[in-house]
Amino acid sequence: MKILELKNVNKIYDGSEVPVHAVRDVTLEFEEGEFAAIVGPSGSGKTTLLNLIGGLDMPTSGEIIIDGVNLAKLKPSHLIDFRLRNIGFVFQSYNLIPVLTARENVEFIMSLQKWPRKERDARTYELLKAVGLEERMNSRPSKLSGGQQQRVAVARALAPKPKFILADEPTANLDSKAASNLLEIMEKLNREEKITFIFSTHDPRVVKKARRVIALEDGRVFSDEKIQSVND
Amino acid sequence: MIPEISWKNIWRNKTRSLIVITAVTLGIISGVLLVGIMQGWVEQRIHDAIHNEVSHVQIHNAEYYDNEDILSTIDSLNKIISVLESDPEVKAWTERTKLTAIATTPWASTGLFIYGINPQKEKEVSEIYTKIVPNGGEYPDINKTGYILISDKTAEILQLKQYIITEPLIEKFRESRLPDNIVIKLDSIKGIRFRSPKEFKAILEKKLNWKELDMYGKLIMDSALDYRIRNRIQITLSDCNGNPVQGTFRLCGIYKTTNTGFDQASAFVNINELAELYGSDTPLVHEIAIMLHNAENIDNVKNKLSTVTDKNIVHTWKELAPDAAMMNDFMYMYYFIFIGIIMLALAFGIINTMLMAILERTKELGMLMAIGMNRKRIFSMIMLETIFLTSAGAVAGMLAGWVLVSMLGKTGIHFSSWGEGFEAIGYSANVYPVVTFDFFIFVIAMVVFTAVLSSIWPARKALKLNPVETLRTE
Repeated sequence: MKILELKNVNKIYDGSEVPVHAVRDVTLEFEEGEFAAIVGPSGSGKTTLLNLIGGLDMPTSGEIIIDGVNLAKLKPSHLIDFRLRNIGFVFQSYNLIPVLTARENVEFIMSLQKWPRKERDARTYELLKAVGLEERMNSRPSKLSGGQQQRVAVARALAPKPKFILADEPTANLDSKAASNLLEIMEKLNREEKITFIFSTHDPRVVKKARRVIALEDGRVFSDEKIQSVND
Repeated sequence: MIPEISWKNIWRNKTRSLIVITAVTLGIISGVLLVGIMQGWVEQRIHDAIHNEVSHVQIHNAEYYDNEDILSTIDSLNKIISVLESDPEVKAWTERTKLTAIATTPWASTGLFIYGINPQKEKEVSEIYTKIVPNGGEYPDINKTGYILISDKTAEILQLKQYIITEPLIEKFRESRLPDNIVIKLDSIKGIRFRSPKEFKAILEKKLNWKELDMYGKLIMDSALDYRIRNRIQITLSDCNGNPVQGTFRLCGIYKTTNTGFDQASAFVNINELAELYGSDTPLVHEIAIMLHNAENIDNVKNKLSTVTDKNIVHTWKELAPDAAMMNDFMYMYYFIFIGIIMLALAFGIINTMLMAILERTKELGMLMAIGMNRKRIFSMIMLETIFLTSAGAVAGMLAGWVLVSMLGKTGIHFSSWGEGFEAIGYSANVYPVVTFDFFIFVIAMVVFTAVLSSIWPARKALKLNPVETLRTE
């Protein structure tokens, strides 16, 4: 089932003297359950494309349609609400709320969505167990390693069962062991929760795990390759 | 969860938050103390005005009120008495003769109001009988005749107040372990009469050094004070025909209230004896003073008494002591001014702290906006943070202020050095601070208002953040 569609999307930043064409005429479609990597060198437009898909930024032209809803047609307040209900974010530098414990960080978005307490608790435990941190659920981010923090961030993004998760270079700040551990968890959750993962990366280990690799160059889609996994 | 995050956020930088909380605490303590002192003074002034000077309600003949003529007595006295006797709201009442007179001693004279009173009934509406000063004789006895009660101030004017170091006093000082050198110095002025406190204080200042004066000055002044009780005072007034008449009374007691103005103008004698002096078989009643069970019902009582006859005029204490009434009515304005100034000063510190907090958390706020925290929630979070920060200090300040005021309310604060000045305008030099529940409600409202106001600028700053840009920052 198609959950995300980009039609001739362009993004031009004209704040500086020379306008920067960050994303050029990108047309893409994503199906439910995909595990897709957006790759490309620095400055190729990966983060801009993710920001556009996540509704954090608006395209200069073109359309982004999520589950049948054109983001450009939403009022700013509705867009925030739409993001809350449909999109999960994982950031390069984890960005957990430092004053909350791992459990509270995972619960946070569900509480904004007013989930009942019981369901919230159950879902939090289930996810922290899935990322292997049920023993550390009452630890604050400052007491967790980088890899553990990123696993909490993944659990947080997954908690409210979004349509898809956008992860901007999720392994960039992790050592190889933590990165591989995180990828295994993301893959497992992708399979079990049937949630689409779209992540930008230039980490070859991540690319190797992806089942679809979209290569960007100068803001254009250079290649879009679906990889048949051994499991398929 | 937003309130929980807000509360935790204020403890991120403990030192900074504690500085703001301490500032708010100290600000509120000073506000509570300041208002407590003010309220204590106002309550004391109102109490003294009602219980010593004007009672809850007074009735006069309307003409007497304008010209103080001896013949302008209360109209329809019997009807009024029957209304007073039958009204359950009236606790006590008394009738008075009130005449202008000149009091004279061999050394001085002064003009004053001479009140003809029934000493026993007077006790039910006035607390003057409890204001007799130490060594100041006694309140007039209903069974004794020919006595007059005057104030400490009047005694001073009429030179019936003297300071004298006597031999027994020197002995008493020796026994009370007053240092020998001081006793020797006092012995050198033994037997000399000083007719005013100023005169006696001047000689003490010559004899004693400032340290001795500071330690023993008050004790010596109080001990050397001697009123000329049983001395004769001649009273001159106009009789019913307008002719001057004179009578002599013996001084039985000296009283002192917190209002020098009232004291200076008021002397009390038996109502029947005064009637004999101005040549009337029955006392002329110029004033009826009334105390109520509940001051809230004052307007009801006034209305009832006003309907008896239009020749009399009925006044409440607020009309008779407008200074006290005004202070009472303005109390809320004082609250607003004191607490308003304190909170305004604190608001700048709070805003500064919150702006710093926002600046430090730019990236985190961007992340919160990105994952779906809307403007309303961001605003609420920052506003709650400000409210918690301010309220923590306010609660501590109110508790500490309340404890302080409760303690000082028992011991009192003594502004002895400025006593004369305070008493000249009707306020006691000893103030017992008091704060009401209303005041704390007002402080809470002001704190919340200040916190909300102080949060607007930082919150707006946070709302202007662009999530894409903030997430890019390191």
